Amino acid sequence: MIPRKAFLEGLVAMLTPRDVLVSCLGANARYLPHLAVPAPCFALCDSMGAAIPLALGMALQRPDRHVIALEGDGSLMMSPNVLATVAAARPANLTALLWVNRHYESSGGQTLPAAPLDWVGLARGMGLGHVEAVADLLALRAAYPRARDARAPALLVLDVAFDPHEEIPPYSERPDEIRARFRVG
Amino acid sequence: MGPTRCTVARSGGWSYASTVELSGVRRMVAGLEAAGVTLAASVPDTWIGRLMQTVRASAKIRAVDVAREEEAVAIACGASLAGGRGAVLIQNAGLLNCGGVLAGLVELYRIPCFFIVSYRGDGRDPIYYHAPKGRVTEATLGAWRLPYALADRAEDLAAQVARGVQLAHDSRGPYVLLITGGDLE
Repeated sequence: MIPRKAFLEGLVAMLTPRDVLVSCLGANARYLPHLAVPAPCFALCDSMGAAIPLALGMALQRPDRHVIALEGDGSLMMSPNVLATVAAARPANLTALLWVNRHYESSGGQTLPAAPLDWVGLARGMGLGHVEAVADLLALRAAYPRARDARAPALLVLDVAFDPHEEIPPYSERPDEIRARFRVG
Repeated sequence: MGPTRCTVARSGGWSYASTVELSGVRRMVAGLEAAGVTLAASVPDTWIGRLMQTVRASAKIRAVDVAREEEAVAIACGASLAGGRGAVLIQNAGLLNCGGVLAGLVELYRIPCFFIVSYRGDGRDPIYYHAPKGRVTEATLGAWRLPYALADRAEDLAAQVARGVQLAHDSRGPYVLLITGGDLE
């Protein structure tokens, strides 16, 4: 289990200008403006559960671009049905990364309902063909290219350390700024 | 905010003379196509299901079957953000599920999002158990400040649909067209 920022930096280092990045609300969305992201990035500051369906709409609209969605386990626990929707739509250009830290980090670090969720099993059961558990940065560097090349919607389940004392920067971009800057050329 | 009655003159910029003999379903889909809708995300009921059957036959619109209505909104928004035009086809029960995503995604980021919503329980609906939804639909649309119109089958349905899509696009926000079973005929 490693800290979220290391995972995020590792992912950003593998992105290209031809990718499109969609982030859920919370720490990832707050860190991203401080990283050199080479791809168009749409970061949410509200609307839990919207990241994956938003990315799905982009992926279906633009099959020539690879779309990466970052989602948290709290958000996906709220709307796991989206995995079935993605499986049915079968976009070959969508990779979702699920950040599993078992906490509602952005609302004060409350714990999620204490269910022993098997995200890999759930996603496979919903019909996603390419699902991998990722335990550390080396595994992410190996798994992400496989997900990209899967020719099927992919989900990587990241085991993320929760640090209640992590100093996460505040949101630094307003929604209208994010919306205005976001262009998929 | 009250409804507008859709009475679009055929000379008002949209011309559908060739579709006059078509069913309501075909006219509505012709309106979606004419307005440049590229993706329609839907959770069906019996009325919306009929509409989606015809959407599936469209060469211009990608039909996306969705597990829950909030996803449909985010998927349509994703298509719009990626350069297309998304639409959401759901029942009013599903629209009532969508308050959070409307506020936290559509309104917050000012994304065009056009809805065709089956107006179950509005008094013309013969099925008794829809009545509670019918009683709160327009009140909820008003409370949520969603601009909406009641479809008028006596007028040009294609133009009403196209006008709604354009209004959503121009306002960079939501627009709802309420339909009944009779509008499909």
